Amino acid sequence: MNHCCKLYSLKLVFSNFSYVLISGLIALGLFIPLSLVSEHLFLEPYIVFSLYPETVFSFSLILVLSILAGVVVSMNVFRVKLIKNTKKMGGSLIGTIIGASAGACSCGPIGVSVITSFGTAGSIASSFLTNYEIPLRLLSIGILILVLLTTMKSLSVECKINQ
Amino acid sequence: MLANTKKYLVAGVGIAIVIAIAASFTSYLGQFEQLQQQDSGTTIYHDEVAVGKGSPLLGMETARVTIIEMGDYQCEMCKRWYDNTRPKIIENFVNTGKASLVFLDLPILGPDSKLAAEATYCAEDQGRFWDYHGMLYDFQGHMNSGWANIDRLNSFAFNLDLDMEKFNECMSSDKYEMRVKYNAQKAKSVGNSTPTFLLINTSGDQERIVGAQPYPVFERVIESLL
Repeated sequence: MNHCCKLYSLKLVFSNFSYVLISGLIALGLFIPLSLVSEHLFLEPYIVFSLYPETVFSFSLILVLSILAGVVVSMNVFRVKLIKNTKKMGGSLIGTIIGASAGACSCGPIGVSVITSFGTAGSIASSFLTNYEIPLRLLSIGILILVLLTTMKSLSVECKINQ
Repeated sequence: MLANTKKYLVAGVGIAIVIAIAASFTSYLGQFEQLQQQDSGTTIYHDEVAVGKGSPLLGMETARVTIIEMGDYQCEMCKRWYDNTRPKIIENFVNTGKASLVFLDLPILGPDSKLAAEATYCAEDQGRFWDYHGMLYDFQGHMNSGWANIDRLNSFAFNLDLDMEKFNECMSSDKYEMRVKYNAQKAKSVGNSTPTFLLINTSGDQERIVGAQPYPVFERVIESLL
């Protein structure tokens, strides 16, 4: 399977504007909450976006994760519609969930709710998700890339068979 | 006969446990009430939040705006604010006498948070609250990784040249355990996440800022309260 075929599958999916729209909405739907919980974006008292030198890397990961999740999920929606197979959808959801939960349990309201509701177990979970924020996000990006590559591969094979 | 004795024994143990719980709870409430009474005499702020048992005031008492920070020493967002926003506020508003700063403990992220908060008051006993406060944020580690355990807290005190005998005595006696709990309860009435800021001016106007927001936000809010 050469790169040309894989890229063809990307072109095939995103030549349809509705998939570009789905992809953009998913990416935005993930990017805004993640920016809020990671305190890059604030809505009160003013809408402000803030980025410090030490948070640039974390922010970049959020951006990559959101875009990848958008692309992977919309490609899988296309694939599910095409061959009614939901097998690869699970991988993209796992990748997205890991990435979204990493760092979301810090000192913000989510972290406090987790700690208050689950006591010591919540505190341990919260510490884990906060302390390993970067590796967890990298892991989720890795999972999403893997799912993207396998989806592209299977789409190009299935398209050839269909043709 | 034996069954009756067993029943009485179980009932006796049960009553003893209930009495012990009630006694400790009453003592807890007593200490809490005592702090509240002391606080109502010292606090200079209106009913929104009592900070008389929080940190010493940083800045001038005559400052028009008071910034009350509700924070946790293990909170990375608090450190982000401490490193990036706070220095500019100190330079432009606290040093110029326009605003003052108070820190109120909201130790929500684990046992080490409470211990670290207690340690700051043990340092306050020796007049070094803000130095110790700064040291905790400068050397903050991963949450609940042991960076704020008793040994590290002692080493911070040692590095600040505190009287270690006094500091150890203060820490081992849990002298400020109740004060930290009291502050946490007061802080929770304002927000349930850290850092949360309440900015109040002498006329009683106030504004709440949640999160490690950048300096321009604080600048705008403080200016509106001046």
